[in-house]
Amino acid sequence: MQAVPSVSWTSFPAQTHFAFEWEATPVLYSWGMTKLDRPLHFFFVTQPERFTGSVEFNISAQLYTSPIGTSHWGFSGQLLAHVPLVEYGEYAGLNLGGAHYTIAGISSNYIVVGFSTLFGFLHYNLKYSPADKIWMHAIEFRFF
Amino acid sequence: MTNKNIFLRLTLLLLIVLHSSLFTTGCSSFFTRFITKSFENLPISPNTVAGKIAHPIFQNVGLSVLWVGHATCLIQIGDKIFLTDPIFSETAGMISKRRIEPGIVASSIDKLDYILISHIHFDHLNYGSLSMLPKSAAMLLPAGGAEYMPEFGFSEYREMNPWTAFEADGVRITAVPVRHFNGRYGFDGAWLNYNTFTGYVIEYKDKTIFFAGDTGYDPEKFKEIGKKFAIDVAFIPIAPIEPHDFMKRVHADPEEALQIFHDVRAKIMIPIHHRTFVQGLDSSLTFAQDQLKRLVTERQLEDRVLILKIGEQRILVP
Repeated sequence: MQAVPSVSWTSFPAQTHFAFEWEATPVLYSWGMTKLDRPLHFFFVTQPERFTGSVEFNISAQLYTSPIGTSHWGFSGQLLAHVPLVEYGEYAGLNLGGAHYTIAGISSNYIVVGFSTLFGFLHYNLKYSPADKIWMHAIEFRFF
Repeated sequence: MTNKNIFLRLTLLLLIVLHSSLFTTGCSSFFTRFITKSFENLPISPNTVAGKIAHPIFQNVGLSVLWVGHATCLIQIGDKIFLTDPIFSETAGMISKRRIEPGIVASSIDKLDYILISHIHFDHLNYGSLSMLPKSAAMLLPAGGAEYMPEFGFSEYREMNPWTAFEADGVRITAVPVRHFNGRYGFDGAWLNYNTFTGYVIEYKDKTIFFAGDTGYDPEKFKEIGKKFAIDVAFIPIAPIEPHDFMKRVHADPEEALQIFHDVRAKIMIPIHHRTFVQGLDSSLTFAQDQLKRLVTERQLEDRVLILKIGEQRILVP
């Protein structure tokens, strides 16, 4: 679970909303570490286990600062791969994956592309729902 | 009041609390000053090392040591090559700037048997540097270090608990307890189940080397090491020193380093972990070295404390 919430802003066709977002990683498979470290991790993940190469399933809750319809809340699940780019991913890495968001009862699927830096603590992910034309920008502070 | 206003006020309150806690406590004051100092040094290129040794590995030698800089020491005993805490990069952890080039280029280490990692801090476990080294080496790391160790393709990795030994081909390397602190990113140390820091004692062909890694002074631990081993050469850190109240818990100063040298009953001491990177709030690169030189002269230890230059190699036993 993140100690510091991520911040995101979601651009619907007609309006933009700002949100705080808390993530948890129920399961992550890491392939960049030595054989001394087990590849599967549940909730507890060190930074290198994530940024040296991994695929994770994470869930998150978003708290919107202004209501969308009648609700302030959104929920999501993401399947996200992390590919190391510089210094085994410690300086820079690529994020690729897909997400499913339910915001104020409306569900949408998103394509996720982004990058991480600062030892995997800082992520910027761009999420786009082709069906609903929704853009979501997320700056994630992954202090797990 | 609207919900939006409530959230704005809560956000503002959170920022004020974070700002206050970061910039008003003594500890954070040190970190603020350290980060400022580090950023000031980032644009400055490291000083060059003249006459770098191009071929530091001998066909066979009794005992040779080469200080690459910081805690990176190339040690050869007979036909076996050991490298401690390799760091050849321009920064440690992105912001702590190297002030003097490494004493040799990494590619000049064309044979390597063992890499010893004392702990997982950025200036001791440097991913980019490890990727430059021969893959034939076996790597020893402290217990718990595997969670921070990417696969580099080395021949073997072994986590070492205190007082456990790795033995192969006549070489015996024992992990010995030292006093430092956990984690790599600061707060992660709080939830690690192990002390992810260690020293090592290497024994091969009747030579015994103690590598302290990075340590504060703990008389019990070092006296125990001194009782168990007949140490020929001890590599002991002497910096950073300032702010002293903060550093002394985890970093030995020159006076304490000499006490460690005394406690482990080594014949020769080689100071490490100084002169190389921006670290702590020491007023100059030679701050610790100057203090050590004064103490060594006062106590007439010139023959036993070898203050090497970065890149200097000594053949202690031909």
